[in-house]
Amino acid sequence: MTRTEHVALKGTREGLVIYFDPTADFELLMNELDKLLKNSVQFLQGATVRCYAGKKEYAEDEHVMLATVLSQHQLELAGWLTTEEVYVPGQTKSYATENKETRLWDEGMVEGSCLFVERTLRSGKSVEYEGHVIVLGDVNPGAEIIATGNIVVLGSLRGVAHAGATGERKASVSAYHLAPTQLRIADLVTRAPDEEAGGRGPEIARIKDDQLVVEAASMNGWRSKAR
Amino acid sequence: MGEVIVVTSGKGGVGKTTTSANIGTGLAAAGHKVVLVDTDIGLRNLDVVMGLENRIVYDLVDVTSGNCRLKQALIKDKRFENLFLLPAAQTKDKSAVSPEQMKTLAAELKEEFDFAIIDCPAGIEQGFRNAIAGADRAIVVCTPEVSAVRDADRIIGLLEAAELRNPKLIINRIRPEMVKRGDMMDISDILDILAIELIGVVPEDESIVISTNRGEPAVMDQGSKAGEAYRRITRRIKGEEVALMNLDVPLGIMDKLKRLVGIR
Repeated sequence: MTRTEHVALKGTREGLVIYFDPTADFELLMNELDKLLKNSVQFLQGATVRCYAGKKEYAEDEHVMLATVLSQHQLELAGWLTTEEVYVPGQTKSYATENKETRLWDEGMVEGSCLFVERTLRSGKSVEYEGHVIVLGDVNPGAEIIATGNIVVLGSLRGVAHAGATGERKASVSAYHLAPTQLRIADLVTRAPDEEAGGRGPEIARIKDDQLVVEAASMNGWRSKAR
Repeated sequence: MGEVIVVTSGKGGVGKTTTSANIGTGLAAAGHKVVLVDTDIGLRNLDVVMGLENRIVYDLVDVTSGNCRLKQALIKDKRFENLFLLPAAQTKDKSAVSPEQMKTLAAELKEEFDFAIIDCPAGIEQGFRNAIAGADRAIVVCTPEVSAVRDADRIIGLLEAAELRNPKLIINRIRPEMVKRGDMMDISDILDILAIELIGVVPEDESIVISTNRGEPAVMDQGSKAGEAYRRITRRIKGEEVALMNLDVPLGIMDKLKRLVGIR
């Protein structure tokens, strides 16, 4: 999740959602939203978003203003969400007590729409997708994948991969041979070490304590997590 | 009905023109009726490499724009009766020809010749799109350098997008002793990334420079290593099963080569 003090942007299974703090001043909200979108990843462009501000209702001209700010960033306002459909941003603290599995589930990192790429991505090819991306082939240097969810490559990943591109820090990148030019998850960026250690097995990269960590994808571990 | 083969690479200077000249001459030497088409409009070279520069009257642009008939622009080779060159225009640029015109031309050439070898310009812009427009098959030339491999990869992607499936790979200018020392990418490193069928490995050879300057393709030079490599490539293009050339470095790379041939 990407956020400022009163505004939060989140990718969910149903698309992008912007949360407003219902108690905050509207003008302040618009300023923060503008700043937030400016800093967000470029590829959001063209997406539709829905907004949520609790029970608060905004006036007609405020609606127009919101739509204008969004359209400046090539986003389209698709509507408003009701309290039943979302979590309230002010209550995010309650995450800590939630079951870990439920949390992953809610953030769309366990299930959700998938794109299967049934060939090798060669240099110059770019795949962008709102959801998870699975490549049945290699991702060569010069090719890139940007996904709001996880990325799985059943081959060699040598190009650029960006998982959780809307700021989902739970996203992961895994590959049979993980040797990317550059690896990005949410807002973190790393590049492969200069000397390549050969002969490793499948690996998975994810964020642990604000660090991008690459570890062997132990199949036992995966199975236990799925249960 | 003949076959149109485009020789391409993406990167410049890897040996597209040399490869086109040698494959064309090799096929002609084997008795096929061959035409070499230079599509590098504005930077024509193939005529120089073939030693036919001083015979050019009409060129590719004259043919596609209808200034002359195809037969008038074709230049007969010095050595082979059955080898012809269709030179590029030097005073125009790539936009002087369109992909549709190239398709028409390719269809016309196929009626007349067994093989049309199209020498593609470097880059991925209009010149490239023209060159591949009428092609039935593609040969990708690559040198053992990271940049050349990267560009070749892009080209293969573009060829596949243009429905030119299963392009074949020629690795040019390889230096076995450098590979052995670990200072140069080896064949398996390149195939790992490109993952297409290898039809030839041409060693770096001084005789290429000499033959290019003389305007006599090395494929006719029995003493040249590169010439030998091109003779084998020619036979493979015709569909014969030929082993890759012995690059004359004891073991190591030889084993790898044998393995590669075995995999195919």
